Amino acid sequence: MKLRTPRATEETPIADSPPYPDSVGDIGVEPGRGSTPGTPRWVKVLGIVGLVLVLLIAGLMLFGGGQHGPGRHTQSGDTGGQAPSRQAPSGAALDGHTPSPGGHR
Amino acid sequence: MTMAPRLRKFALTAHVISSVGWLGAVVVFLGLSVAGLTSQDAQTVRAAYLAMESIGLFVLVPFSLASLLTGLVQSLGTKWGLFRHYWVLAKLLINVVASIILLMYTQTLSSLAGVASGSGELDVLRSPSPALHAVAGLLLLLMAATLSVYKPRGVTRYGWRKQQELRTVSQL
Repeated sequence: MKLRTPRATEETPIADSPPYPDSVGDIGVEPGRGSTPGTPRWVKVLGIVGLVLVLLIAGLMLFGGGQHGPGRHTQSGDTGGQAPSRQAPSGAALDGHTPSPGGHR
Repeated sequence: MTMAPRLRKFALTAHVISSVGWLGAVVVFLGLSVAGLTSQDAQTVRAAYLAMESIGLFVLVPFSLASLLTGLVQSLGTKWGLFRHYWVLAKLLINVVASIILLMYTQTLSSLAGVASGSGELDVLRSPSPALHAVAGLLLLLMAATLSVYKPRGVTRYGWRKQQELRTVSQL
């Protein structure tokens, strides 16, 4: 069977051609010539996804029942507490996560 | 105001280096946060949180600010502009949001490092927070990198007006 090699003509556009063919490599030529002022679909999708994420994070911070900030990593907001346990055997202080009152969630 | 070609290349190189450096530092931070979260060795956990604080203050913050600054120079010094194209605007938004969250999070990192240095319980260090922040930051920076490479079409109303003005001037 003889295979036909497609030629790069006007009928067979190159799939990987850059969206801004007149600005490849950022050489300073005018970008986006001929574009229309309508909002592109990718901007709308990105905006909706961003908005949902922001609302989700805000909701978790407000209604998740937990503080968000450095204070939650210390007991009662300060760093006073147990003496350093650098000599503790590995795993002794680490096994079994038992959050202290006022600790992070 | 557009920069001369040599200056533009220099600014672009500085922007790429600072942005890629930021991305790489976030990956390192993610690795440390996973080590701090999963390691059974107390010394490793403490070291991970101390290292995270140093990386946050001395690597992530400078790289993020450098990326923002060089990005502003790169956009304002070329015909791309800062508010003319949606992809540039999206990158600016990503950079500003990520930098603000990072600057705020340095307080948490300092607090965690304080606990890790021995003044508090080691248990409270078992927080997924650094890893979650690192993953979120990584996703944002990957998105910014993708936008830089693909440069998806779309001009803002302001950009379209500017294009029309330029065409009108060039036709006169």
